[in-house]
Amino acid sequence: MADAEGFVEADNAEAIITRIEHKSRKIETLLKQYKPVEALKTALEGTYAIIGDERCKSAHWIVVHRAIMAIKDVDGMLSSLDPEYYDILMKYLYRGLATGDRPTCDQFLRIHEKLTEKAGHGCILRFLTDTVNTV
Amino acid sequence: MAVMAVHQFAQCITCHVWSPDQSMVALCPNNNEVHIYRLVEDKWEKVYVLQKHDQVVSGIDWSARSNKIVTASHDRNSYVWNLERSEWVPTLVILRLNRAALCVQWSPKENKFAVGSGAKTVCICYYEQENNWWVSKLIRKRHDSSVTSVSWHPENILLATTSTDGKCRVFSTFIKGVDAKDSKKGTSADSKFGELIVQLDLSSSWTFGVKWSPSGNTLAYVGHNSMIYFVDDVGPSPLAQNVVFRDLPLRDVLFVSEKKVIGVGFDCNPMVFAADERGIWSFVRYLGERKAVSSGSRYGSQFSEAFGKFYGQSKHGVNNDAVETSRTRGTVHENCINGIMPLRDHGTIIRRFSTSGLDGRIVVWDLENEQDLLE
Repeated sequence: MADAEGFVEADNAEAIITRIEHKSRKIETLLKQYKPVEALKTALEGTYAIIGDERCKSAHWIVVHRAIMAIKDVDGMLSSLDPEYYDILMKYLYRGLATGDRPTCDQFLRIHEKLTEKAGHGCILRFLTDTVNTV
Repeated sequence: MAVMAVHQFAQCITCHVWSPDQSMVALCPNNNEVHIYRLVEDKWEKVYVLQKHDQVVSGIDWSARSNKIVTASHDRNSYVWNLERSEWVPTLVILRLNRAALCVQWSPKENKFAVGSGAKTVCICYYEQENNWWVSKLIRKRHDSSVTSVSWHPENILLATTSTDGKCRVFSTFIKGVDAKDSKKGTSADSKFGELIVQLDLSSSWTFGVKWSPSGNTLAYVGHNSMIYFVDDVGPSPLAQNVVFRDLPLRDVLFVSEKKVIGVGFDCNPMVFAADERGIWSFVRYLGERKAVSSGSRYGSQFSEAFGKFYGQSKHGVNNDAVETSRTRGTVHENCINGIMPLRDHGTIIRRFSTSGLDGRIVVWDLENEQDLLE
């Protein structure tokens, strides 16, 4: 029983990786067209549907990280980003801050400040308390 | 302004409840006693002190018709207090718990009361005439963690609970000989004692403050993840809604009507939620006025200092003068509100209610002058 489930999951993981690769190409295209906000939206879209095991999470994180690092106008990005993405963006911001990488932290902390102003402390609490849907 | 009266009763209040005629208020000032105050010529006078518990009183309820007080405490016991010749006489209720009792509520018919506990159990207590004794019947092995709140359905059989395992559950508490078997009532009266009617797994974190709407058709409870949940058609196929809000989590809720809920909690300011014609719930606004945040800090809350440090560091200390300790919360309550109780005038729509919290205040609110909130 456990073997069968593991097998299905591995199969599923391959499909997810393919989808993440597809997403990555789309984001690269959008970034080349100077559409960083569109790229970020694409990166955050349907995250939970394509989050599987740790390997998928890492692959997806690389894609999201790429999109977040390309953001220059934070206020502009937040005002055009749909509020439903605030929670998931917050989760990735904390993942980025956890890396300890200087350029990443500088950028992510800048966005964190603006996002907290916009989405409130509730957004941070939802990140802290959600132990099931981690990114 | 929605605030009618504010009174500082103690350093901190763990719970409070009003007498049936609302002339008196019973509260626990964060110790093993219950203090009962009466309003005499615009002054609150302490008229009774109920001393029997050994540890902090975590729950009080005052029955409307039989005028009995039930208390629950961390000492794992409950007392039922009866007023006999101007003296509150306690009767010990042995709950048979090995952890603290956390909350208590009389059933609508006042023939039972429910106690939630840290022992992952709920006690349903009822009076046995022949033995002159309150019996505690346990609902065991249903909760994976502490039971934080209990709420009776108006029909006197179903009980909703919230727990730190993140779930909200509804049980049947039918007790033979106490509850009349009513064949017309359908499903709820047919279930055995302790039967799980529904388990709602909506929250990823602790849940608190469960309440039924006045009709018993809707269930509301809160999660520690700054979310509030509304559940219709409680039964085999419940309809659930999550409402996300931007501030700190809630601890307790109150239905002021079928379509309107007041939530109180760590944000120190009551929040109003309402359902539209289609039954979609959403956040409406804060009830208290929010004063402008002081210029010293951009984050007008207890977090300001910590946040200042957090961001200040990234700017290599440049912005540090802007970081000041600011205690401005701009609300009537200055700390977490942990309880909300209705004040009934007449009818089912509640216009007035009171809140108490860790700041030791009880605040009475009135929706009378809040035009946008009245139907």
